[in-house]
Amino acid sequence: MSSIAKPLALPHAEEQEDPREQLMHDPRSRGEMNDMVMESMHSTTWKYWTVTGILAVIVVVCLFYAWYYLIMQGLGVAGVNRPVYWGIFLVEVVFWIGISHAGTFISAILRVLKVEGRRPFTRAAELMTTFGLVQAGISVFLHMGRVWLSYWLIPFPNERGLWPDFHSPLMWDFMAISTYLLSSTMYLFLPLIPDMAMARDRSTGWRKAAYRILAIGFRGTEGEWKNLITAMNIFAFAIIPVMFSVHTIVSWDFAMASRPGWSSSVFGPYFVIGALHSGMAAVAIVLFLIRSTMKNMKYFLRPEHFDLLGKLMLMVSMAWAYFYFNDYIVSWYGGDKWEKIVQEFTEKGPLWYLWYAMLFFNIVVPFAVLWNKKWRQTPWLLAIVGLLINAGMWLERYIIIPETLTINRMPFTWRLYVPGVEIVLTIGNFAFFFLLYMLASRFLPLIPVWEVQEGHESHTLRKIGKASIPTLSDME
Amino acid sequence: MATDLQLPVFTNNSENELAGRWGMVIDQDICTGCQACVAACAMENNIPFVGEADAGYGRTMHWIRIERFWQGTFPEVKMTPYQPVLCQQCHKAPCEPVCPVFASVHSVSEDINLQVYNRCVGTRYCANNCPYQVRVFNWRDYTDARQRPELVTLQNQLNPDVTVRRRGVMEKCTFCIQRIRHVEDTAQSEGRDVRDGEVVPACAQACPADAIVFGRVDDPTSKVSKAAITSRGSHMLEELGTLPRVTYLAGGSAQ
Amino acid sequence: MSQQISRRDFLKLAGVGAATTAVLTGCGPASRYVTRAPYIKMPEYTYNGLSTFYATTCRECSAGCGLVIRTMQGRAIKVEGNPDHPVNLGKTCARGQATLHGLYNPDRITDPIQRVARGSEGGTKMDWDAAIGIVADALSKNKPDEIAFLVGMAPDHLFDLVADLAKTIGAPAPVRYGALGMFEARTTLVKAAEETFGQTGLPFFDIGGADLVISFGANFLETWLSPVAQTREFSKMRRGQKNKRGYLVQFESRMSQTGAKADEWIPITPGTEAMVALAIGRLIVEARGLALPPAFANVDVNGVVEASGVTLDALNRVAGLFSLYDRPLVIPGGGALGLSNGLQTAEAALALNALAGNFGKDGGVFISPTNPLADQYHRPASGREMQDFIQRMVDGKIKVLFVHGVNPLFELPKKLGFGGATKYVPQIISFATFPDETAMEADYVFPDHHGLESWGYQKIATGSASSVLSGAQPVIVPFFNTKSTVDVLLAAAQKAGGALASAFPFKDEVEFMDSKLASLLNVDGFFSAPEINTFAAYFQQYGGWWKTTDNRIAPSSADVLNRSFKADAAQFDGQGDFFFVPFVSPILGEAGANKPWLQEVPDPTTTIMWNTWVEINPATADKLGIEDNDVVRVVSDYGEVEVSVYKYPAIRPDTIAMPFGQGHTAYGQFAQGRGANPADLFGPSVNEAGDLAFGSLKVRIEKTNKKRQLSRLEGVLGVYGFDSK
Repeated sequence: MSSIAKPLALPHAEEQEDPREQLMHDPRSRGEMNDMVMESMHSTTWKYWTVTGILAVIVVVCLFYAWYYLIMQGLGVAGVNRPVYWGIFLVEVVFWIGISHAGTFISAILRVLKVEGRRPFTRAAELMTTFGLVQAGISVFLHMGRVWLSYWLIPFPNERGLWPDFHSPLMWDFMAISTYLLSSTMYLFLPLIPDMAMARDRSTGWRKAAYRILAIGFRGTEGEWKNLITAMNIFAFAIIPVMFSVHTIVSWDFAMASRPGWSSSVFGPYFVIGALHSGMAAVAIVLFLIRSTMKNMKYFLRPEHFDLLGKLMLMVSMAWAYFYFNDYIVSWYGGDKWEKIVQEFTEKGPLWYLWYAMLFFNIVVPFAVLWNKKWRQTPWLLAIVGLLINAGMWLERYIIIPETLTINRMPFTWRLYVPGVEIVLTIGNFAFFFLLYMLASRFLPLIPVWEVQEGHESHTLRKIGKASIPTLSDME
Repeated sequence: MATDLQLPVFTNNSENELAGRWGMVIDQDICTGCQACVAACAMENNIPFVGEADAGYGRTMHWIRIERFWQGTFPEVKMTPYQPVLCQQCHKAPCEPVCPVFASVHSVSEDINLQVYNRCVGTRYCANNCPYQVRVFNWRDYTDARQRPELVTLQNQLNPDVTVRRRGVMEKCTFCIQRIRHVEDTAQSEGRDVRDGEVVPACAQACPADAIVFGRVDDPTSKVSKAAITSRGSHMLEELGTLPRVTYLAGGSAQ
Repeated sequence: MSQQISRRDFLKLAGVGAATTAVLTGCGPASRYVTRAPYIKMPEYTYNGLSTFYATTCRECSAGCGLVIRTMQGRAIKVEGNPDHPVNLGKTCARGQATLHGLYNPDRITDPIQRVARGSEGGTKMDWDAAIGIVADALSKNKPDEIAFLVGMAPDHLFDLVADLAKTIGAPAPVRYGALGMFEARTTLVKAAEETFGQTGLPFFDIGGADLVISFGANFLETWLSPVAQTREFSKMRRGQKNKRGYLVQFESRMSQTGAKADEWIPITPGTEAMVALAIGRLIVEARGLALPPAFANVDVNGVVEASGVTLDALNRVAGLFSLYDRPLVIPGGGALGLSNGLQTAEAALALNALAGNFGKDGGVFISPTNPLADQYHRPASGREMQDFIQRMVDGKIKVLFVHGVNPLFELPKKLGFGGATKYVPQIISFATFPDETAMEADYVFPDHHGLESWGYQKIATGSASSVLSGAQPVIVPFFNTKSTVDVLLAAAQKAGGALASAFPFKDEVEFMDSKLASLLNVDGFFSAPEINTFAAYFQQYGGWWKTTDNRIAPSSADVLNRSFKADAAQFDGQGDFFFVPFVSPILGEAGANKPWLQEVPDPTTTIMWNTWVEINPATADKLGIEDNDVVRVVSDYGEVEVSVYKYPAIRPDTIAMPFGQGHTAYGQFAQGRGANPADLFGPSVNEAGDLAFGSLKVRIEKTNKKRQLSRLEGVLGVYGFDSK
């Protein structure tokens, strides 16, 4: 690839990497990178349109038509019953909110912590946040018995003096999710502005018109940059507590209820870490898909990024394992009769295999694969691990919601849950997520060019003697 | 300057307005599990039937169900005493604070839990949080004769005092609030207090064994208060602190 | 403005405009003929928003509980018990509650019809004049002894009319039948009382007065005789006595709902009840150190222990209870009597009562009060009598058959051959309210009103200490174009002319009833009236007439203990491995299957809704490799049925049980094609009293590879554990 001579006479030379394999030390000119990103946005093949078309059909049939059917028939067409009043719809809510955590985590926390490896994939992760929240929101509405009255959850002044009940965890949830959706959209938008301006300057026709609006007149003056950076810094710090709070509050939907298996004080952090677990895994999948299907992406998304992601996934997986067993052992040691029954049911009940599958996917798989650097750097392997983790996390939510709900304090009512139309709607949800992503990939630059550029500016290879040594200059 | 519009003022004087704290005693020793209460409740409260498949999948709409378990194996097998389970009308009801739209509310004057069908948006959180699992949900449009032509004639039976619920709404036992109100109104128009035993919910009215006694538990002289004072009495899941209003008298050979 | 108006016309009118709307109410004596009146002249008993209550009698079974129906603006809204009524004192059972689903059933027969062919759906609609003509012809054009009436156990005023009618024309007396009567084994009870006391009448067991009740198969809390009254008495027995809790011991092979309430449930080999009763008697006598009376002399206690599977300890314990309690009562009934030795069981139980010395005492055995009309108790036909009846049909001795209030094609065991015998009867006229199996096989269906639209009375057979004539009146204007069968018969009698017309000079049903009630004028009772209009008004207002005294008849017990009793083991037909225990579904009864709410009321013991099941001991099922919900074929020598399995913990491993009530091939959308009918397995054998020995069967089970999920209220995971499916 590159023809720069390797440094000689260094010990363990074969273990040393060429710094130029790292994106930040493999700079290209700004114009070239802009063109590469623009080209990736413009090039559409028949394959792309086929996949998009199929997804669109699935969304129309499996999401919108099935939803219409659900509304007209009532929730009887789903699998919910007594005692499992909450089913896959809420599994989906928690799952998609979990997915959405990755974007904020990567974009905000890693930005604040100045993790350089984040740069090329912040955008992809942020888009996941927004699109994931859209799915979560849809799932909330799918879940409701009378969705046409869902605006009653909004505290608006009305002549009857009726307000929502702020005691209800669902109300907190509603507030938290809407706040999160709003702030994460804002936070998606801010770093997008310079890229929109870039795209505006390189487009014609309707795209130019659209980009012009989205770029809100950004020209790249120093003052504009300064304001933008300030705004992003403020948002980066502000959104972190929102992110932690949102899944904590989602967990309170369960933890606040007086049900065995739910009423647990560790649910807050446990859910947040669970969210990151599935979120990171989802980023790995999405990055793999972007890298392998879109033009010019192999330049931006390199094994080093997958390596970073793999390390994060491993760390989060271990943290998740800690929290899971913390929760488990506390309820086990607590000795509450009903908690014990719930545990016995998940481990030895008719759905025991779900429990083992969850632990295998969430702990064993990442632990076995991600310690190996070579494997971490293999994008397809990481994507598969990500897929398994997501399956595991989905099962975790399934175990927490419909399976735990089977057990309550009235053994006479214990009954299993068999999903009905939820399965179709879940397919629709996933299709809608990917459809949004497919469309966005041809409209928004999935790589924040200016951030990569910024990285290039601050990373240089300096010749010291015969060796090229990577150095980092602090631009701020 | 604010002008007095002479609007009616609604205040919440819970202490003053308490019209009666209603309660129930169910004697499991004489309950024969005959299901008359179940049928009577359904007839009084316009409870729909759901059909075989839904009924077997835990979607029955009964507001009262009779539980029983088994002890031992043949030949030493015994059935535990029948236990009719209905809404316990908790004083501190776990179903109430979780509803985001105040559809599950506490009636100030009767001190019982009510479900405002019109307000319910169907999150089903209340049912999850009910330790007694006595809330039932309208999974389908069970009462819509356009979808179920067999209801066209059966609908003549509907009780005009009780709302007919449609899909997506949670419902539960109301202690036959329509009967309580009716008796209260009658008593008021006759200028007297409600007499003990004057209010009879449909289940107690039907019960051939007289295992269900209903009345005011805040009146120590009422039949229900006296019936509750026995060593056999207990509240279901008392440890949760929900302060249920239904007292069960143990069955079996307990004295 | 006095034209008559139907309920449906009313509804149409109500839509057109309130000002000209008719006012409509159930009844009152005058409102039998509903007239159109201006809105402003609303009758005093009808106000918008206020209910009107009518007292009437429940027709879901023949116990005759008094009901008060709450109506509002011409609709029946709610069934409540009649608090004054001596049978039920304001209480009802689930079937009584659901009677409104019969009234408003979507499958009711709406018009008189002539079938195109027997068994075909629907038919040609007729008008009532033509229908009455056909009945008149049937009554007058056939030879009297070729006319047969088959009527149900309710209502009694129709039975009285039909009996009078038959007597007038010289036809054989009407035959009464009902599946409940068969499962209750009423004939056996009556016969046992006759043989023991030399007195006719249905025995009356004073459960409420007893403090120890020992029941041999009597399911007195479910469907037996008068379940609401007996449940109340049970409650009194259990908890109604000062400082004492009544004790119930139940001997039966399958735990019934009654057995579930027992303090001791003793699983016993079917057919050994008689010998167990005698053995207990012997042990009591021996424990008391008395001279052994002949009644118990022949029994070999050790042999009984071996045959019955009841341990000697258990027998001794039960015998000991006799000394421990003051007022023991022994009740034989239900399945124990429907065996080849059922009469022996009934008599042995009465002998135990004699030993307890409780004849005619509180908490003891009586003969039920005679009814106020002072005629004898008309028990339903026994199995043997029904066989004779069917034989008459087959022999072509019946040319016209009138059927009312009973559905023999479903309620009679298939093996008796009623279905095949119908083809020898040229004309079958059914008065069914619902399109049941028999109505489908009839040439004409002239639908009677539903019980709540009807006049009538019911002579209370048992359940009340006083003599009761329970009254019925319409609570709403008939919903469909139906006509009271009594009116049809009276009109037909007029049309037939001659002696028949002059014997029944009544304008309508009410006049006929008044003629019967006339004997009660000036008689002391709950109310008393000097002339018929006043009496009839009170009769409707209070829902009947009854004495306020205790009219139970004390039986003679002079030498019961000195008689010698036999106690053979029962004979069982067939070579199968399992005893077969059929029982009436406590919820559906014999005719509840067409009421959707009853279908959805869970069975008290299994909590199953909407279907039929067969109960098998879990250990047996495991041995046979049968799981819950597996469809098995139950085969007897006489038939077979396919039914889903319920692993029932409280049944003997050598016994299987099935509820009766489902398995209809007609009877409306809620009943048709649902479940299976255990009566299809019954054979023709009868016991000494002539009652069908429906339990004298040995059946076998064959696996099929099918599965059919039973709908249960119970959560299997919580009740039977996590590994149950």
